[in-house]
Amino acid sequence: MAAPRTPQLPPAAGPRLLAAGLRGWTALVLVFLYLPVLVLVAYSFNAARLGVGWEGFSGRWYAELLAQAPLQRAALNSLVVATATTLLSVVLGTLGAWLLHRHRFPGRDLLEALVNLPMVMPEILLGISLLVLFALVGVGLGFTTVVIGHVTFSFPFVLVAVRARLQGLDPALEEAARDLGATPWGAFRLVILPALRPAILAGGLMAFLLSWDELIVTYFTASAASATLPLKVFGLAKVGLNPVLNALSALFLLVAITGVAFSAYLRRSAR
Amino acid sequence: MPGARPGALAWLLLTPLLAWLALFVVLPALLLLGCSLGERDEFGQVLWGFSLENYARLLDPVYLGIFLRSLGFAALTTALCLLIGYPVAYHLARAAPRVRELLLLLVMVPFWTSFLVRTYAWMAILREEGLLNALVAWLQPAWAPLGLLYTPAAVVTGLVYSYLPFLILPVYASVEKLDGALIEAAHDLGAGPWRVFPAVILPLTLPGIAAGVTLVFVPAVAMFAVTDLLGGARVPLLGNVIQNQFLQARDWPFGAALGVALLALFLVSQLGLRALRPRGALRG
Amino acid sequence: MKFKTPILPGRLAALLLALLPLAARAAGELNLFGWSEYVPQPVLDGFTRETGIKVNFETYSSNEEMLAKLVAGGGRYDLVQPSDYTAEAMIRRKLLQPLDRARLTGLGNLAPAFNGRAHDPEGRYTVPYMSGSVGIVVNTEKVKVPVRGYRDVFQAAFRDRIVVVNDSRELVSWALYALGLPVNTIDAASLARARPLLAEWIKLVKVFDSDSPKTALLNGDVDLGVVWSGEAAILWRENRKFQYVLPAEGAHQFVDVLAIPAGARNVTEAHRFIDYILRPEVSRQISAAFPYTNPNLAARRLLTPDELANPASYPKGGKLESFRDIGRAAADIDRLVTDLKSAK
Repeated sequence: MAAPRTPQLPPAAGPRLLAAGLRGWTALVLVFLYLPVLVLVAYSFNAARLGVGWEGFSGRWYAELLAQAPLQRAALNSLVVATATTLLSVVLGTLGAWLLHRHRFPGRDLLEALVNLPMVMPEILLGISLLVLFALVGVGLGFTTVVIGHVTFSFPFVLVAVRARLQGLDPALEEAARDLGATPWGAFRLVILPALRPAILAGGLMAFLLSWDELIVTYFTASAASATLPLKVFGLAKVGLNPVLNALSALFLLVAITGVAFSAYLRRSAR
Repeated sequence: MPGARPGALAWLLLTPLLAWLALFVVLPALLLLGCSLGERDEFGQVLWGFSLENYARLLDPVYLGIFLRSLGFAALTTALCLLIGYPVAYHLARAAPRVRELLLLLVMVPFWTSFLVRTYAWMAILREEGLLNALVAWLQPAWAPLGLLYTPAAVVTGLVYSYLPFLILPVYASVEKLDGALIEAAHDLGAGPWRVFPAVILPLTLPGIAAGVTLVFVPAVAMFAVTDLLGGARVPLLGNVIQNQFLQARDWPFGAALGVALLALFLVSQLGLRALRPRGALRG
Repeated sequence: MKFKTPILPGRLAALLLALLPLAARAAGELNLFGWSEYVPQPVLDGFTRETGIKVNFETYSSNEEMLAKLVAGGGRYDLVQPSDYTAEAMIRRKLLQPLDRARLTGLGNLAPAFNGRAHDPEGRYTVPYMSGSVGIVVNTEKVKVPVRGYRDVFQAAFRDRIVVVNDSRELVSWALYALGLPVNTIDAASLARARPLLAEWIKLVKVFDSDSPKTALLNGDVDLGVVWSGEAAILWRENRKFQYVLPAEGAHQFVDVLAIPAGARNVTEAHRFIDYILRPEVSRQISAAFPYTNPNLAARRLLTPDELANPASYPKGGKLESFRDIGRAAADIDRLVTDLKSAK
């Protein structure tokens, strides 16, 4: 699994104080992160249609959610797109980071700068230029075009995260593997890849979050059948159907937390 | 070993990346460039041609001001993300290996919700009759209600909230590989945390910090939706202005010129930084 | 609610019969490109249930968004839903195809006022879908003085208590109305005259929001504003303290229309959908979801007294005027507003 680790000695008083401070700070930041989330969960049970004041407890938004087939369809589309985007971004980003790290060739600096370009490219520009491109080539809009758009702005996030971890990875690690007779691919798979695991996880999470919530590029690259959740959510918000959206968000939170709890359980039992 | 010239296999592996960049990054960027040199028709779409008029307009103090203001908002957001996020990433990465990744996932859970719904929740917290003002009214009635929503402070709060994971994740990945023994050794040699951090930890996590800062600062420059919702769209920022050229002003060529200027600024600064930095300076 | 079976005109019936052996089910598809949520799901479901035609509903949230995707992406749509002044430009650019009015049996349901409007004088290309205005909404619990026009809204006493739609052309046209200048012929001279007035007004505004201006009013963050009538109608429905006023100086009336893009593949299905929308029972469902002004008189008869009493949906009196397409001046307007907002 992870790189070899030295067992930790009991820390001295200074570090212990620091550790307590860090724990407190992390708790505070978690409160900041979860504050709006708690608010929206609370509002998902609010009887008020336009969701302003508290008008009593109600489960009707969850019932309405169940009746909304297009919303469910859009959520499913989003899941498909985000998963495909994450997988492709991780492959493209990790491979790219390793090759850029490992090799030196003319134009490499330019290439590295180009890799970061989609991150700064305003979504509307990426969206419209991709739309024009697809029309020129004659590619019909659908899942493929949405995923292409999403991978384009997501994979640099993976690449940057993995590249940061590679810088400072001990080159002796790979050399040792090669000395022991591993092929370059074997060395990559057996030594480098495990060492990169945290960065790949971090990059993959970022790619997923970006794809999951993207609106503008999606608008210009999607067809009716491949419309994702954010498109639907923005449309609904205009009519003032916020409580249903709160209910939907609360359900996703439930799914996410269940996922985390499940993986915690798996780890515990695997130990 | 880093620095080897790529062999045939490496080139082969590099092909997907090169092809992707060429097709979906370089080609669209060139389309934009062509678009920015054209003129607009009555729909605001492009009549191909060659004119630098749109670039001349960029020098208008109004648009220069918008550029600077957007960079300022992004810089402030990045600084706050770093201050808030670094200790968290550090703490998570130094937690027991068993819970480390779980804690990381826990940080990510709120972002499973839709951005819009989250932002509406922030509006419910910050508005005049909102939760925060209720708290203020209870603690110090004389101050209430504070005008929090539709201010630059609300915009920055929203930006920091949205981008915090993009700082925490890469810093986490870089702290996680720190050798615990190194820190212990420094402590054993009598160095307190205030000495160990700048002398040992900071330099070793610099690549992670650089990555995190890039991932926050760069997209934040052209951000638009948070600024509209939490700021009331009162102050134009680059992302909104570019969006407007396509979706309101019917001036695609000028929108493209703004975009090309942003991309060019970015490329030049990246290449410039690289040229300034001594080779291998960031290697741990 | 009663459902009548549709009476197909002879030509359509003949055409359908001719097509029947060729494609029994394959012909049954409609690519509808409309405003987000503007066509309620029950209406779409009802149409599919009755005709067997599958509706692919793709959405946009501004006219320019629609134009960008339609023009740059190549027309794959059978039916679009532009606002009147956008439809006018689309007709001029030959982006729409003439309708076969003989196939639209429900045209007689429309109020005469919605026929022969400037964007399409002979009604050859468009059929009205819904209509609305841009006017003043006032929280009468907070604002005790009478508010009749734009100048009453934008006064120093209401600094930071005002919400307006985030639409440069709307903003500029209010200033033009207040100055007694025409809103459909915009040039450098009229913009120069509007500028100082608008500069004062923009400083007073707390929120610019086109998507959901009602939110700031409902939340109590502002007390009055200039918004889409549909938003004001929802506010009034929620609480009668929100009153709608058509500005005395003049106000913008818009009509969103249905139209068939040039190059549409499923023209027959598109006509059937338009005709379905023209039915009073169907149009009535749209009114319920979106309390804008329904141009369908037969549908209005089915509305509840409460719906008809909504001052934002069916305002009394007022000087209403359509926007015409102003072409390239849109960019000058946007620049002026960006400039003034930056100067704040």
